[in-house]
Amino acid sequence: MLSASEIRKVVEERTLHQKGTGKKVVDVREEMERLEDRGEILVHHIRPENRPVATTTLFGWTKQIPTDRLWHHKSCGQCGNIPGYPSSLLWLMNETGRTYLNEPHQTSCTAWNYHGTATSNPVALAAVAARNFHRAYETDHFPLIHCGTSYGDYKEMRKLLVENAAVREKVRAVLRKMGRDLVLPEEIVHYSEWVHVMAPEILARQQHPVRGIIATVHEPCHYYKMVPEDAIYDDRVYAGQRPAVPSGILLELGATVADYSTWYDCCGFGFRHILSEREFSRSFANLRKIRPMVEEAHADVAITSDTGCVTTLDKSQWIGKAHGAAYMLPVLSDVQFVALALGAHPYKVAQVHWHAASAEGLMTKMGIDWNRAKGEFQEYLRALKDGARPELLHPAHGEIEQFFAINKGQVLPDEARASTLNPTPPRSEGRGAD
Amino acid sequence: MSVVAHLPRRAQSLTEEEAESPPAMELTGRHRMSEDERTVAATIFDEFHADPRYREFVLGCLNCGECTTGCPAARFYDFSPREMLQIAATGDATTLWDALQEKIWACCQCYTCNMRCRFGNDIAGIISVMRELSVIHGLESTRRTLAPFGRSLTLLMTVGTQVSSDMIQPDFFRDWGPFATGSDQVWQVTPEVMRKAIPLDVLQTTRSSWEVSVQTSLELFRIYEETGVLDMLRGLDPDLTEMLVDIVEERREEFAEARERFSSELAGQRGPVATFTG
Repeated sequence: MLSASEIRKVVEERTLHQKGTGKKVVDVREEMERLEDRGEILVHHIRPENRPVATTTLFGWTKQIPTDRLWHHKSCGQCGNIPGYPSSLLWLMNETGRTYLNEPHQTSCTAWNYHGTATSNPVALAAVAARNFHRAYETDHFPLIHCGTSYGDYKEMRKLLVENAAVREKVRAVLRKMGRDLVLPEEIVHYSEWVHVMAPEILARQQHPVRGIIATVHEPCHYYKMVPEDAIYDDRVYAGQRPAVPSGILLELGATVADYSTWYDCCGFGFRHILSEREFSRSFANLRKIRPMVEEAHADVAITSDTGCVTTLDKSQWIGKAHGAAYMLPVLSDVQFVALALGAHPYKVAQVHWHAASAEGLMTKMGIDWNRAKGEFQEYLRALKDGARPELLHPAHGEIEQFFAINKGQVLPDEARASTLNPTPPRSEGRGAD
Repeated sequence: MSVVAHLPRRAQSLTEEEAESPPAMELTGRHRMSEDERTVAATIFDEFHADPRYREFVLGCLNCGECTTGCPAARFYDFSPREMLQIAATGDATTLWDALQEKIWACCQCYTCNMRCRFGNDIAGIISVMRELSVIHGLESTRRTLAPFGRSLTLLMTVGTQVSSDMIQPDFFRDWGPFATGSDQVWQVTPEVMRKAIPLDVLQTTRSSWEVSVQTSLELFRIYEETGVLDMLRGLDPDLTEMLVDIVEERREEFAEARERFSSELAGQRGPVATFTG
């Protein structure tokens, strides 16, 4: 493994090489500002009401992480398979008094499909990203991206749109056909970065001690390998030699973050493989990830911060029984683990029952009375079956929003160009807005 | 014009006679290409090298092998990112053609090779370019590889999410075990009730990852129409594409009806919600 100084040396060499070939490693945000000054794009700025916290990236650049007035960009695999992931995040935002929108007016980034089947192209991917960015912009809520692949893809698309005028014009033309314009967010922010900077407020609310819990971290590839220069690093986490997330919050909570030999490997998701070539996914997940986590690190739980990684590491274990290797190591997202440590309901909020590897043993070690919680959840299911209204983390959307991306006091591009005045803040859906 | 004239470099080194009657089996043991295949291979080769991403992604190779030591696919398949990069870098239409048949689909797109490459090559990216070309040209091997993706492509094209909870069927995901797929058996309620127990209303659906508003899904489809994605898919699976067009036409009608139904609520609206008609 390279030391931090070696990494910097590689970066310098790569920069020199790429200068010679015309390929740049520059802070794309600077060029974005120049385009904004020339009126070629709109930039969705982080404002004081977003309550930003400064972090540092691999390249030593400052990255602002907004903590309030956020637009949740959900992850397609997460919501279909592991819904406790977004519900834990929104619960945590309610607990910490943050406002947000969780809308039906978004598509996924569509990059799972692109990386799996290639039935798309860069202009389409950039247009999808820009459509979602524009929707966040017009609601005046800053996008917070749940998925590692969306996060990586959106950074690639931001770079493409900034550096390639031809793509920019093609995308702008498409957006104008739907009454939208080209807006790029000042930062592309992953939810785990939000969790990381919220550590002080999270710690103040911790109910269950996790000292003695051994956690192994799987670092999602698309968080830090797609656009390495923008991932956040922190000297307090592996001396700044590995990404700060999600290890940082685990250390802050008091867990032991244990190393294992294959930490750098991917999870085995493979995009195409998890659906149509699962022999590969489950073999890789079991042999290269779960087995080292258990046998080398004696882990109580595997923690990661991406949809595909949670899915692959969790769902691939049961079949290990066929080879006498049913480790059944619980696999949770960082924010589910945080929610449990803060006393969230394990089933109603953290939704641990969607996971293939049971988290009940882990919860026992954390001092959580999951038996009682499970009984409550069974009661709740019976009530729902009998027609009871579901408990929600934010007010339900009205029927009109099944059809229309309605106005919520939005910022329209022409108005934004004409004036630098702040728009009237719209009302958020999050409980913290009340 | 003879096929040979289209084939760059190695292929062009064939004589007319060799091209007219190639050996039944080449030295590599590869199946002999038909003339049609050679023509398509030559076209793909030209398009590959003409793609603007080619110059940006393929910079050179030190042969260090760092990319391959970290590659998950290299552990389980006859696949190596170093080989793929070198195939991309060499001027050989038939070698590229061979790689398109199977090897390109082994890549996990994890970008580990990119992160490790001292030369700054975008190996995962150039493999995606190869994949795009295999889709655009509707290669038979690509059709076979992507055949299981009909349902997820339908979801993706119509609502923009890739999976839904009702896709996780016990018969298909038997290897995931009873807790991943049999929540109704474990908890004695239907999947619909299980979804109702998620405390976010937009997730209380079994048909997609989350409820997507009709306007949003139509905007997405407009993107696919305008950027050539629909045409790509038509080349790969015309029947699926026609079905998608039908679904979207119905949604457009539904959207128009809703605009009348909600006309009073929409009267004061500005921006895309006021102007987008599907």
